[in-house]
Amino acid sequence: MKSWPNFLRCPAWSALCAFGALATFVRGEDSFYAQRVAPILDKNCVVCHGAKKQKGDLRLDSFAELVKGGKNGAVVKAGDPKDSELYVRVTLHPEDEDFMPADSKPPLKPAEVKVLELWIAAGADDRTPASAVKGAPALAAPKAPTPALTADWQPRRAEIAALEKTLGIRLVPRSRLGTDGLVLRTASAPGLCDDATLAKLAPVADLIVEAELARTKVTDAGLAALATFVELRTLDLTRTAVTSTGVAKLVTLKKLESLNLTATAVDEAGIAPLKSLPALKQTWLFGTKVGAAAP
Amino acid sequence: MHSPDFHNCSDHCGENPTVWDLPGLPQSLKREWLTAETRRHFLGRGVKALGAAGLATLLGRSAPHLLAADAPAPAAGLDLRPHFAPKAKRAIYLFMAGAPSQFETWDYKPALAPMFDKDLPESVRGGQVLTGMTASQARLPVAPSLYKFAQHGKSGTWVSELLPHTAKVVDDLCVIKSLHTEAINHEPAILSITTGNMFPGKPSLGAWLSYGLGAINDELPTFVVMTSKMPVRTNVQALSNRLWSSGFLSPEHAAVSLRSGADPVLYLNNPTGIDGEVRRAMIDGVNSLNSDLFNRVGDPEINARIAQYEMAFRMQTSVPELTDFSDEPASTWELYGPKAKEPGTYAYNCLMARRLAERGVRFSQVFLRTWDNHSQLPERIKIMCGDSDQATAALITDLKQRGMLDDTLVVWGGEFGRTVYSQGTLTPTNYGRDHHPRCFSMWMAGGGVKPGISYGETDDFSYNIVKDPVHIRDLHATIFNQFGIDHNRLSFKFQGLDQKLTGVLPSRVINEILA
Repeated sequence: MKSWPNFLRCPAWSALCAFGALATFVRGEDSFYAQRVAPILDKNCVVCHGAKKQKGDLRLDSFAELVKGGKNGAVVKAGDPKDSELYVRVTLHPEDEDFMPADSKPPLKPAEVKVLELWIAAGADDRTPASAVKGAPALAAPKAPTPALTADWQPRRAEIAALEKTLGIRLVPRSRLGTDGLVLRTASAPGLCDDATLAKLAPVADLIVEAELARTKVTDAGLAALATFVELRTLDLTRTAVTSTGVAKLVTLKKLESLNLTATAVDEAGIAPLKSLPALKQTWLFGTKVGAAAP
Repeated sequence: MHSPDFHNCSDHCGENPTVWDLPGLPQSLKREWLTAETRRHFLGRGVKALGAAGLATLLGRSAPHLLAADAPAPAAGLDLRPHFAPKAKRAIYLFMAGAPSQFETWDYKPALAPMFDKDLPESVRGGQVLTGMTASQARLPVAPSLYKFAQHGKSGTWVSELLPHTAKVVDDLCVIKSLHTEAINHEPAILSITTGNMFPGKPSLGAWLSYGLGAINDELPTFVVMTSKMPVRTNVQALSNRLWSSGFLSPEHAAVSLRSGADPVLYLNNPTGIDGEVRRAMIDGVNSLNSDLFNRVGDPEINARIAQYEMAFRMQTSVPELTDFSDEPASTWELYGPKAKEPGTYAYNCLMARRLAERGVRFSQVFLRTWDNHSQLPERIKIMCGDSDQATAALITDLKQRGMLDDTLVVWGGEFGRTVYSQGTLTPTNYGRDHHPRCFSMWMAGGGVKPGISYGETDDFSYNIVKDPVHIRDLHATIFNQFGIDHNRLSFKFQGLDQKLTGVLPSRVINEILA
């Protein structure tokens, strides 16, 4: 949508429309061109046919440029997709030397080709309202970006690797998205992870969203350190020596959603303060003095 | 123990050798097939690149995800981070080999009762070719389930009276009644489920997960297989290591198979007179010879060998602790039943699967055979359910109470379904059922799968799927999805193709069953 000025939001334009003189004349954001065609061109074509590069003397980054055509003349013939270079070039066999996008860039998707075809058939202008072109493939709902759980760990790769090496734990990225945070993983050598380990992890605590501490040597003293790991969503303390005294310190973990205290010595007194935690959905208490598992 | 009674079903052949052990096929050819790709890799990269990457990657299989900034990239160059944040960290696959009948377990068909001993309408069968076992039958008489069904849980899921324990956890399960497959006989069908392909030689699901995600716990194998003692000694399915092999992936991704006896891993214990220090020195010596060889010839298979020595050494410590059940509370034995104390039973293996999951083993596969009830089905399926029902339900309950069901995916099912018509003589109290690939039931639980739902429907004869079919490829794509893997993006170059578990035919993640 960057290619077309936002006339509709311009006060003078609004005044005109309000006056009724141009009520049927749709330009800008509501046109099929702006809604459907321009995004396809922006995504697939403008890298070579735009402000930076003008291969074949052709620019496709605005409607005005598009209608000027390239060194071989017009690229669209209104009403006739089969005789429009813009359509023909993207529908050739991908190995044809005239195929676009060139240089093994990914071909247009069938739905995108269909949009170009419909647009040319409907007159290849920038006035036809989007709603007037029938049969266009539905737009995929825009994918909501994954919310960032933490800061990106990747710039701190060296610091993280050094901690892994000296502490004998692992800091595993949850996914390829740097802002999905890290998992503190101890399964290979739970015996190496103790209260001192947690204290030493404080510099990267802002990146850790999950701590797998089952069977480690963590005690109540370690939980005091852990209370500063405010990005924690999931904490597993199964079979550790923690008690109610330590667990009560976790009230600072406002983002904590899941807390596993299976086979620990906690009792009601330990978990009572946690009931104020806003995000906590599940507390696992099998094998504790609390008995029934309830948040 | 008397010898298994062999059936005319073509591959009921007990513990026969695998294709890899077939006589007449030269070992060199098999090796060449297995290493063709890695050798090409080697030639492509040059000795130096491989040499530099060599031992660094062997320190731990989970190491490459975050190597120190100054360390070289791992040889495989594989990024072990999931494509997207996973719901499941690990999975337990309860494989009911032989194919349990859907009629007596999950697919309730009340409309069949009045059809007793009537011929299966030709319109239902639609001209489908029958197996050699029933093609010669004069009639195809409809056999309704001899066992009653009732609705259970808040979900009101229909469950057979043969599964009283599983019925109690049904609100944690997602029952899929519309699985389908191409294979009509056991071996290709089981291979299809375990490796995505009915021809042997492809990596199994667990091997792909090991390859794609690495280990959670470096002290134990990433992928473990357990075969259970057989409750019935008829219609025995062959289970061989091609079902859990690494195929064309590096051999360290293959499953370690735990045995049922006193020695769960053969030759793991040091012989008398050899202590840990001597063993360590021996392995260091062998490793040094192997790395010399690697530096000269650069075959990545040598690194796999070194890795296996190291894994075996680590398992000398980790396995005894794993298999020592003395730390289990009394409640465990009430839950899983007394058979869980007997090594090798299905109940024992279910408990072991929970212990493996606790310790970070990514993928455990428990096989239970002899569901292949061609004859005397009512009697035999009752034995099968009786042997497994309590332990299956116990595993779900146990994972749930320990807070592990959320990130452990559990899958239960066989390799195909069974026919609505009786194989052999139908009487009011006895019948058999033949193989039926067009529809069968499975369930999944935990690991981000929606609990307490049923998905997919079959017709009144549970012969054809009428709603929401799920191919095995879709099941695989869905399992991968729960591990944060896009099944189209986890691949391995072999024989000139980017090979993947789901192959090239259409497959999709069953989003409708995901929480």
